[in-house]
Amino acid sequence: MWRYIAKRLAMVSVVIAGVTLVAFSAMYLAPGDPAEVIALARYGDDLSTSQIETLREAEGLDAPVHMQYLIWMGHLLRLDFGKSLVTSEDVLSEILQKLPATVELAIVSLLVSLLIALPAGVLGALRKNTLLDSGCMFVSLVGVSIPNFWLGLLLIWLFALILPLFPSFGYGSLEHFVLPALTLGSSMAAVTARLTRASLLEVLGQEYIVAARARGFDERTVLFRHALKNALLPVITFAGMQFGYLLGGAVIVESIFSWPGIGKLLVDSIFARDFSMVQGCVLFIAVLFSFSSLVVDILYAVLDPRIRYDRSD
Amino acid sequence: MNRVFKFILIIFMLLVVIGASACIDEETEGTAEGAEAGEGSQDLVVGVGTDVSSWYLDMFASGDARFVWAQVYETLVRLDSDLNVIPGLAESWESSDDGKTWIFHLRENVTFHDGTPFNADSVVFSYSNQSYVRQAVLRPVQSVEALDDHTVQFVLAKPMPLPFYLTHIAWPVMGPSCLDAEGNFVKPVGTGPFKFDTQAKDQEIVLTKNEAYWGEQPLLDKVTFKVIPEAATRVIALETGEVDMIIKVPEYDVARLEAEEGIQIHRKLTTFTDFLQFNCEKSPFDDTRVRQSVAYAIDTETLVNEVLEGIGEPAGGRAYSPVMMYSDPDLETYTPDLDKAKDLLEEAGWKDADGDGIAEKDGEPLHVTLIVSKGVWAARHNPMAQVVQGTLREVGMDVEIQVLDEGAISKLESAGDFDMILRSGYFVWGPYPRHFFVHHSGNPYSHYNNETYDQLVDEADMTLDSQEQEELYHSLQAFVTEEVPAFYLVHEEKVVATGPAVNGYVISSEDPWLNLSGIYLERT
Repeated sequence: MWRYIAKRLAMVSVVIAGVTLVAFSAMYLAPGDPAEVIALARYGDDLSTSQIETLREAEGLDAPVHMQYLIWMGHLLRLDFGKSLVTSEDVLSEILQKLPATVELAIVSLLVSLLIALPAGVLGALRKNTLLDSGCMFVSLVGVSIPNFWLGLLLIWLFALILPLFPSFGYGSLEHFVLPALTLGSSMAAVTARLTRASLLEVLGQEYIVAARARGFDERTVLFRHALKNALLPVITFAGMQFGYLLGGAVIVESIFSWPGIGKLLVDSIFARDFSMVQGCVLFIAVLFSFSSLVVDILYAVLDPRIRYDRSD
Repeated sequence: MNRVFKFILIIFMLLVVIGASACIDEETEGTAEGAEAGEGSQDLVVGVGTDVSSWYLDMFASGDARFVWAQVYETLVRLDSDLNVIPGLAESWESSDDGKTWIFHLRENVTFHDGTPFNADSVVFSYSNQSYVRQAVLRPVQSVEALDDHTVQFVLAKPMPLPFYLTHIAWPVMGPSCLDAEGNFVKPVGTGPFKFDTQAKDQEIVLTKNEAYWGEQPLLDKVTFKVIPEAATRVIALETGEVDMIIKVPEYDVARLEAEEGIQIHRKLTTFTDFLQFNCEKSPFDDTRVRQSVAYAIDTETLVNEVLEGIGEPAGGRAYSPVMMYSDPDLETYTPDLDKAKDLLEEAGWKDADGDGIAEKDGEPLHVTLIVSKGVWAARHNPMAQVVQGTLREVGMDVEIQVLDEGAISKLESAGDFDMILRSGYFVWGPYPRHFFVHHSGNPYSHYNNETYDQLVDEADMTLDSQEQEELYHSLQAFVTEEVPAFYLVHEEKVVATGPAVNGYVISSEDPWLNLSGIYLERT
């Protein structure tokens, strides 16, 4: 197990090294002279050529590209993400400041989605091919088809304007979680519910379930003790991956609900052409994503004793 | 295995605890806030689109930051809601005969929010070499000196209408005590009607009344700016009463909001004008007749009525919004005439020979690109571009729309690899007609090179006699409508919406201003 974790960690670091390269080169692949676009973002339209040159020197943008990359990496290894090109604020502290809001929203959304998806999926599987089943699956189909920004606005319209129950935007109290988490959670729930149903149906058809029934266990025991435990394995993997995605920033939802998280920070920085901030966000998200999938894999092993990573090494 | 499980369990619990603790903290904060906003409170909540990312003078206060700055900081010279120049922190000013030396007499008995006196030193500090405005805009300023405690002298390298420049709220007077002993920025210190209180990044900025304000006391006790980037969310926040007032209301929401009880729409013509900028260095727009053909083809009145729901004023080629100084009321603008547009194209050698509806010249079809930015104006510019595309197709011009981000646009611009760009006004603040520098060959983005034009612009900017200046600017406006380095489409209208509690709001033309003086709340 530990060897597996060590191996995965090594792989994660390779991935992250790759991400640094991509994040860095994106700045050069993106159209426009970086010094010029930064100067535009910082000084507005009214700028002179000499200002652009001054900025190019001051920000070290005149060095050869590979040198700039090595310098940047050198700073990164000392956990120095640099300063925002637009506001001069420290990139890492800015990201860390936004992180809690995103993590909180991700956790709550994940819970919301599981609360919706698990019962719906289980019901669907147990009442296979009934009206209830088709109903659940239809709703989940709709859920997965509605784009987040549209669902978000619909929920705001319904629950903030027509039935003034929850705030339409902002961050601060538990109430503020309801609409964004419902938006994010319900679209995730749609897929999770279908997965739960399919997985449970597959497990229910297996011999050991038939055997369990034959041994006289009642349906409830068969379902909860034997079937669900195994059926939930793929669901957990999926939810784990989704969690990584959520941490990466539910960009649109954060923008609609003015949620001060890392996704919104990334979008704002892209629009402001704040390259150092964009690089920092991308890198941070990559790290979070890698680790959350690592945690999922380990969780998998814990839940399913048949999986022994050590042996396969 | 057991240890691994415990490890994971601990991590998960930690995450949940972090999440929960953060929620609980903010929940108590939330209720406290709710309790404060009792009946009869004068706490205004304003929904804005972007946060204040900088409070200091070395950076340009961009976007909606300027609306917030305008409450905390003040300028030496001000504009009233109709853009007339009035005294601000300076009571009066005078210039030398050659227009190169300006002396400002400062208001006495004004104090900054931290109690330090406002004086000549703070003006010198605010326009020091470190300030953004000196680096970017006031480059001709050679020195700023305190003659005595309440008199400041600016010396310029060339004549310049300095008072106009000093009305921009992004270049205000700040207290030197914004900085600590090491020169690091600590907090905003201004002289304005409201004091900075707190800021939660990307969420809200809270200002409180400045009891020691030198001018008319504000009627509000507290102003909270809520940062709501999505225009649709901003509108709903007003409708639900979560905010009292929103700025930058999208055109397509105006009619609906107007019909709603308690909500008031305030509109006013601004100094901004949307325009189609041509690349006059490259075929086909290097030919004046082709540019004029576009001007005759596009019906700006339809554009305003159909695309912008009647909000804004059709420009018909007029470079200046009528609210601008020296805007020529008798300027002859374009009335749409498709036949004339076609004739002009033909004169320039573009004729549809093969009958496919697209004109050709030397066997090449008339194919041009129109660049639209992905930025904040995209919501109005995208449909406008489509109308332009459809109209120009009728006279035989095949327009391809490219929606790009700013970086991509600046790259194409630098390379001269574009035909038309749809833009909103820039080099625009206050009533002063500085926008004409856009087509000056000295501007790296102008793509128009006309000596007569350059001379006119320079001369107009440096002329001190206002009668003469007006004549020069009138001839410049005629020049632009005749030569069409850009075709001006729509004078923008600013839209602000207020909720039922807000009374006494007067909208101002100047975009960087949000006039809160005179507002009081009556909550039922």
